[in-house]
Amino acid sequence: MPAIRGPGACVYGTSGALRSRRAKDGELGFVGCCSGLGAARGPQLRSRVLRLGGRSARLAPVGAMEQGRTAYVNSKADGSEGENLHQISTVGNSTNIKWHGCSVDKLERQELLQQKGCVIWITGLSGSGKSTLACALSRGLHSRGKLTYILDGDNVRHGLNSDLSFRAEDRAENIRRIGEVAKLFADSGLICIASLISPYRKDRSACRAMLPGGDFIEVFMDVPLQVCEARDPKGLYKLARAGKIKGFTGIDDPYEPPLDCEIVLQQEGSKCASPCEMAEEVICFLEEKGYLRA
Amino acid sequence: MSTLGNSTNIFWHECPVGKHERQRLLDQKGCVVWITGLSGSGKSTLACSISRELHTRGKLSYVLDGDNLRHGLNKNLGFKAEDRAENIRRVGEVAKLFADAGLVCIASLISPYRKDRDACRAMLPESFIEVFMNMPLELCEARDAKGLYKLARAGKIKGFTGIDDPYEPPLKCEIELSQKDGICPAPGAMAGKVVSYLEEKGFLES
Repeated sequence: MPAIRGPGACVYGTSGALRSRRAKDGELGFVGCCSGLGAARGPQLRSRVLRLGGRSARLAPVGAMEQGRTAYVNSKADGSEGENLHQISTVGNSTNIKWHGCSVDKLERQELLQQKGCVIWITGLSGSGKSTLACALSRGLHSRGKLTYILDGDNVRHGLNSDLSFRAEDRAENIRRIGEVAKLFADSGLICIASLISPYRKDRSACRAMLPGGDFIEVFMDVPLQVCEARDPKGLYKLARAGKIKGFTGIDDPYEPPLDCEIVLQQEGSKCASPCEMAEEVICFLEEKGYLRA
Repeated sequence: MSTLGNSTNIFWHECPVGKHERQRLLDQKGCVVWITGLSGSGKSTLACSISRELHTRGKLSYVLDGDNLRHGLNKNLGFKAEDRAENIRRVGEVAKLFADAGLVCIASLISPYRKDRDACRAMLPESFIEVFMNMPLELCEARDAKGLYKLARAGKIKGFTGIDDPYEPPLKCEIELSQKDGICPAPGAMAGKVVSYLEEKGFLES
């Protein structure tokens, strides 16, 4: 792989910084993970075990059985709701709410997708390469026929979190909401990749606690401040040093590195691994832990 | 670089795996089925039925139930008018993310105010399917699945939709489900109608 010299001091080369762990032969996606190559039309789940989206004879018997189950749960002769009255509760600021169960559960979705939902939480300084890794990771997984979705801190601030600023309490709420949404995505069966500075340990731990054990995979982009600042892909360090941005993480607001995360992606010396190589390490982890199968 | 809302110095990050690629992978198009109606009109029941019907066809969906979300994302919101609006805004934004991810996202919440529902529709041009559970108040109250109408009539809950807070029915929704000759259709039949609509409009293929 040719060395790519970016504006910063980091030179992308073949891996010196990561333990070398190569993909098994024949695994679709590792070879093409940067270019997005695969089948000419792109990967399709229907080529895998279950015919997702197809008129599959295999699914029909399940359908017939489930129709019966639905009828039992949901209808009486007069059409009234047949479900049992569960306890009404108060949660947070919401009174008189009820948890509604649903007949299609997480395991069934996982079976359909042939993967297990989880959250990959990428944390690190601005310019450490979080969004770049998120993209490479989603591309690598997509090439293997896996469904992912990226929740990028900046992108979410364009929509769901457009009412939040960068004050400490709003940072916490930003992270809390993203954690809750990531949890929903994981429950739906997707591999949700959250990419945001998330500087405070307490807030990241709170997100970890939202998910069942093992489903929260924290990835720390351990890149020195000097390297991030030299890259300065958004020109923010320059503005922060000039005092035009206050409370900028790494300059005049702290970044609290994880003490015990699942994956640390480090730079050694002046070399750092390419985004594809880093994505490969994360994909290997997911595979080992069983997330790339139902 | 841009300033949006209360956030300054944010950047839109492009990503190589796009919506169309996800849709090809799933062989469906992401969209939002927004089920609105009085408490007890059968929204959650319908949501589950639609989800089940889609699953048997090999389609991926996810239900965002108003009550369930108030256990998590929206647990810091109450039922004051501004909180209801924020509840719906957040559900709309999340539903938009799910639709972008390629799923059929089924949002099931009273969502009583037209303005708030229309704001969600505006977030999702072409892929917002509003389903109105047009069941009479008397029927919903007779069911009283959660015992809330009783509490509201006793004055123990204030601002309860249908009793002392308005429900504004849609003026122009994609699907309206109502009683026929005083009988409510079975959830499976209603779900079938919604799924047929999705099929006709091309959401069940990539």
